[in-house]
Amino acid sequence: MTVINAPATALRQPFFKKPSILPGFGLTLGFTLSYLGVLVLLPLAALVVKAGGLGWVGFWTAVTSPRVLAAFQVSFGLSFVAALVNAVFGFLVAWVLVRYDFPGRRLVDALVDLPFALPTAVAGIALSALYAPNGWVGKPLNDLFGLKVAFTPIGIAVALTFIGLPFVVRTVQPILQDLPPEEEEAAASLGASRLQTFFSVIMPALLPALVTGFALSFARGVGEYGSVIFIAGNMPGLTEILPLLIVIKLEQYDYVGSAAVGTAMLLVSFLMLLVLNLLQQWMRSRHAR
Amino acid sequence: MAIQVSGITKRFGEFTALDAVDLEVKSGELLALLGPSGSGKTTLLRIMAGLEGPDAGSLHLNGEEALGLKPRDRQVGFVFQHYALFRHMTVFDNVAFGLKVRPRGQRPGAAEMRRRVTELLELVQLAPFGSRYPAQLSGGQRQRVALARALAIEPKVLLLDEPFGALDAKVRKELRRWLRKLHDDIHITSVFVTHDQEEALELADRVVVMNQGRIEQIGTPADVYDHPASAFVYEFLGQVNRFDCMVEGGIARVGNGTLAIPTEGGVQGPAVAYVRPHDLGVSPATGGPGRIAGIHVVGPDARIEIDLAGLALEAEMDRERLATLGIVAGDRCSVHIDRARVFAR
Repeated sequence: MTVINAPATALRQPFFKKPSILPGFGLTLGFTLSYLGVLVLLPLAALVVKAGGLGWVGFWTAVTSPRVLAAFQVSFGLSFVAALVNAVFGFLVAWVLVRYDFPGRRLVDALVDLPFALPTAVAGIALSALYAPNGWVGKPLNDLFGLKVAFTPIGIAVALTFIGLPFVVRTVQPILQDLPPEEEEAAASLGASRLQTFFSVIMPALLPALVTGFALSFARGVGEYGSVIFIAGNMPGLTEILPLLIVIKLEQYDYVGSAAVGTAMLLVSFLMLLVLNLLQQWMRSRHAR
Repeated sequence: MAIQVSGITKRFGEFTALDAVDLEVKSGELLALLGPSGSGKTTLLRIMAGLEGPDAGSLHLNGEEALGLKPRDRQVGFVFQHYALFRHMTVFDNVAFGLKVRPRGQRPGAAEMRRRVTELLELVQLAPFGSRYPAQLSGGQRQRVALARALAIEPKVLLLDEPFGALDAKVRKELRRWLRKLHDDIHITSVFVTHDQEEALELADRVVVMNQGRIEQIGTPADVYDHPASAFVYEFLGQVNRFDCMVEGGIARVGNGTLAIPTEGGVQGPAVAYVRPHDLGVSPATGGPGRIAGIHVVGPDARIEIDLAGLALEAEMDRERLATLGIVAGDRCSVHIDRARVFAR
């Protein structure tokens, strides 16, 4: 009997399973799917279902009200700006940490992770104290350049840059570390200047990692709440971020309205991350190892 | 273009990689730097290319002082052991790189660039692969791309760092013959680093044997093989039987007189004798001093292990000769050595 059954068992395997000597495919796949289902998909689905109570027209009206649209602009626009700033300066930090050895390098390296660990509210309060018109940094900026940082969109960008920095540094750093020095030496012996080597040899290798770091920093910025609300000033239509708007709606017992804003945020974020991922895949496929 | 190296010294911390090395590479020759790892051969090559700076000494390329020049100004083509191709560029763009980065005035136009890159790809027999990425090529193909890329800048000198080191045995042999032929065609002054004595002896016009940051010997392949200047060179170039002996009046005596070998060179007293396995004769002799400990047939050759009163020796002969002698493991035999090289101990 067993002899006859054997090929049948082999045929019954799902088409997407590749032969492997490692056991536990079914178990691990099942666990992964149910884990992600419960942890990620279920709450998101609940959110969408809740927002569905409005109907299409109601949903559209809720998310296209001027106040919500303005908040969209603030949240996504400033997160984008902050992620761009982080992409440039986070890259620089990673570069310095990898390429140069200096006293206190390990300390600086550890410092990069602080925005991860610090409660965001603490960061928000510290930043607003610093950048307020009478703060250590805010006062000279105000006196010399007439630049107001706290309680303006610039303040939000500062807070989002602060919390997003580690994402870029930590994604670029390991790739930079593994970059073979021979490629740069080859470029140099072929007559390339340092600048040419940087742009035509180093940057293309780092770009996928840089895009990942940018995407993570951006996504973190869109969802950030704690550090922003202290420095933003929270003026509706001007410095009011989406997460705050959701909380405000909740406090007004407008549960469906807040779910609608949440769902719209989810959609936009998902689309942007999808585009960034596709971009990255395309870049990677061009120089697969 | 000739290369003149004088008194080059390089230290890495406590380690002396090069110890006052003098070397002259003649224009148009193919020179091998041969030595074990840590002998300083790669460091010397990198100093010639400007990828490393020496602590002392001077370097002249074609009579001109070159240490002050950056790598990009030396007109030197460098080929790396692990190819170091630009992974995100196609084969074509890799080869074109050296032309594209030239200053605007010296940069060839698009059509001219295409013509030259195509020509180079034909030279390395990779014309159909221009649009591939390095990841899609085999090791041998990648190394040929690296070579084409280095040649694109029309270098005066070609420097190759273990160019065949990462390839498998068959490809290595093919590529080595191909490189020799290429060199015979274009006559570019070339220096390559290797730790493989067979590679150096087969490929090079002259071989530089290095050990512990110093040059042990410079000569043609036949020269260094037949007349090794030091015990190190003798041991490094090929299989060798090594044994302690006592030299008296030009005769080396081994053990308690089981072997007496005529020697070259005027060494007297305690010494080390070297005999190549193919210079060691074996003949069957009932009640002889030696015993055949084992016979290993490797392709067309046979290696014969001999136990000569406690002294382990190895002889090498072709299989025909082995068949004529008719010896098998366990037989008694006599051993005769026509030639041995001795170095004072």
